[in-house]
Amino acid sequence: MPGSKPLARPANVIFTYDGSFPGFLCCVFESVYTHQIPLEIMVEDQPPISLMEVRRISTDQDRAERVRVSISKKISPRTLELVTTVFFTCLEEKERKLLCFLLRAYREGGGLVWRMGDPEVSALLAAEKHLLGEAHLLKGFLRFTDAGNMLVSTITPKNFVLPFLARHFTLRYDKEQFLIFDQTHKAALLYQHGQAEFLQVDNIPEPTISPQEESYQALWKRFYNTIAIEGRENHRCRMTHMPKRYWKNMLEVRDLL
Amino acid sequence: MDLMEKLTILTDSAKYDAACTSSGANRPGKTTMAGCCHSFSADGRCVTLLKVLMTNHCIYDCKYCVNNSSNDCRRATFTPEELAELTIEFYRRNYIEGLFLSSGVIRNPDYTMERIIQVMELLRHHHNFWGYIHAKTIPGASPDLIRRLGLLVDRISVNIELPSEQSLKQLAPHKTKAAILTPMKQIALESGQNRRDIAVYKAAPKFAPAGQATQMIIGASPESDYQIIRLASAMYQKYDLKRVFYSAYIPTVTDSLLPALDTKPPLLREHRLYQADWLMRKYNFGAEELLSPETPNFNPYLDPKCNWAIQNMHFFPVDVNRASEAELLRVPGIGPTSARRILVARRNGKLGMAELKRLGAVLKRAQYFILATDWPRHTRVNRELIVRALIDPNVFAFGVEQLSLFGDSPAFQLLPAAKEAETVTEAVEEAVSCLAVNL
Repeated sequence: MPGSKPLARPANVIFTYDGSFPGFLCCVFESVYTHQIPLEIMVEDQPPISLMEVRRISTDQDRAERVRVSISKKISPRTLELVTTVFFTCLEEKERKLLCFLLRAYREGGGLVWRMGDPEVSALLAAEKHLLGEAHLLKGFLRFTDAGNMLVSTITPKNFVLPFLARHFTLRYDKEQFLIFDQTHKAALLYQHGQAEFLQVDNIPEPTISPQEESYQALWKRFYNTIAIEGRENHRCRMTHMPKRYWKNMLEVRDLL
Repeated sequence: MDLMEKLTILTDSAKYDAACTSSGANRPGKTTMAGCCHSFSADGRCVTLLKVLMTNHCIYDCKYCVNNSSNDCRRATFTPEELAELTIEFYRRNYIEGLFLSSGVIRNPDYTMERIIQVMELLRHHHNFWGYIHAKTIPGASPDLIRRLGLLVDRISVNIELPSEQSLKQLAPHKTKAAILTPMKQIALESGQNRRDIAVYKAAPKFAPAGQATQMIIGASPESDYQIIRLASAMYQKYDLKRVFYSAYIPTVTDSLLPALDTKPPLLREHRLYQADWLMRKYNFGAEELLSPETPNFNPYLDPKCNWAIQNMHFFPVDVNRASEAELLRVPGIGPTSARRILVARRNGKLGMAELKRLGAVLKRAQYFILATDWPRHTRVNRELIVRALIDPNVFAFGVEQLSLFGDSPAFQLLPAAKEAETVTEAVEEAVSCLAVNL
């Protein structure tokens, strides 16, 4: 209901939370119940250097669940989907932007998410598109190495795409065992014996390469280099479709960097 | 001969086939609906499938083909087991989405088809491989074999090769129009029947669920663009094709009937044909709207949609807050995605120029053709201004010499100066002044 009293007003306070999605939902809870929009919402491990009041928001699963249900019920399921996705993106100040969007959406309803020309909404939609686009590209650009007992892969995405890759790869390689290591976010997706789990990992050892693996890698490189037509060479076009930041994890173009 | 050598020879012979998509077969985790590119080669084309020939031995003597029987090149043949294993191992490592198999003709069409089917059966039944498979049928193969192949693969295709029967007779003496169109028709009928079967009985075996496609070579024979897109549009309607691919002819063999070896491939022309193809499939344009017998070739400077818009100024301006989707799709700078977004967004608030920009419309082009809340009807806009905004910057990336290919089009007889232009800016100026007068 536009024009009615806003849920919260800007206040001189900074929220810190544990960096998890339920933790963020608790920040939303805090904001609504104290009628305060914080200047910033930060993750605990980067202590703010400021004279402002800093409030630590502890993660409470029940509260988080209440907020989650209320977004879906009082606003719309699509809003919950957007908020969940954007939370995993690399958008600057995503927590504050999401909070402001949610406070507006509680007032204006489920239609807000469809006002795609609105500056606040379009920023979130662009972030969502960035993440989903990156996840889609990685479904193709990710390369596995057969390390004997397991397929291993390293990726360095900007957004936290692992949750969005999990379904695709577990269905695709349901009989295999594999590990996808996200170097940027120090996380991994491990799939073995039909079970997938997310892990906190700082590093993985270099996989040992058997002669058989080496020969398939060589075959693939040869195929890649042969399939291009000399008369049509177009490096600009290749870079548009396959940006260089992906190249270092791709067997066939790694040497071109 | 070891596997590495075979792979090199058979990839090298398969690379001129344009199609390499994996869209249309919907199996979770296997292929996404929109397809998935695994890499891009140095020529900027997507690498989705392991694109190879079963063999490059061939009894036919098609003039334009690298593998024709009179060409002196190295020949190799995969055994079905080798090929199946290679596919599986590449697929496991996420190098590819599946297999794209074509073949030269050994002994006779039926024998070759049986070899292809053998690979598919190995993959599907022995290795339990459910990735994407695109297979080419061999013109002249028996209907039974085509049916068997269709039940094993996701997409099946017959190449029409050349845009007219006359050229086919000249350049591919062993292939006839009938031998190409009969299987195409059979595939269309079988898929239609199969869709009805699946509606009745969900577990009915699927016949080529990703449909059929075809390819033709552009620039090896004298057909005009108008003839080509008329043919494509007829095939879309008649045979329910998913895609028609256009492949700029790259001279690989010498023959008196073909362009000389040093001819540059007509990439700009190919680009324009693809643009027109998308307009026909996704924007509801008819072939007759884009070209006519009087102007049988595309304008090199403007893409087909802009060209249509400039010649149909009476259709504009279109009010973005009221127009139907079909009308929005006619505006240069608005595509299917932004048209859909405009429809949703305007239900939740009036649209101005700022909103349109955030929705993804390209205002640089669209501004001359639309009305929005803060964008009223303009008094007669300067035609030169519009042309300048719409001129396709890509045209100069393809090289100025490509423009001379369009020399026979009446609108551009004034343009020889463009060929001599030293810089891109000069060429643009030249083009703008000519187009503004001519259109």
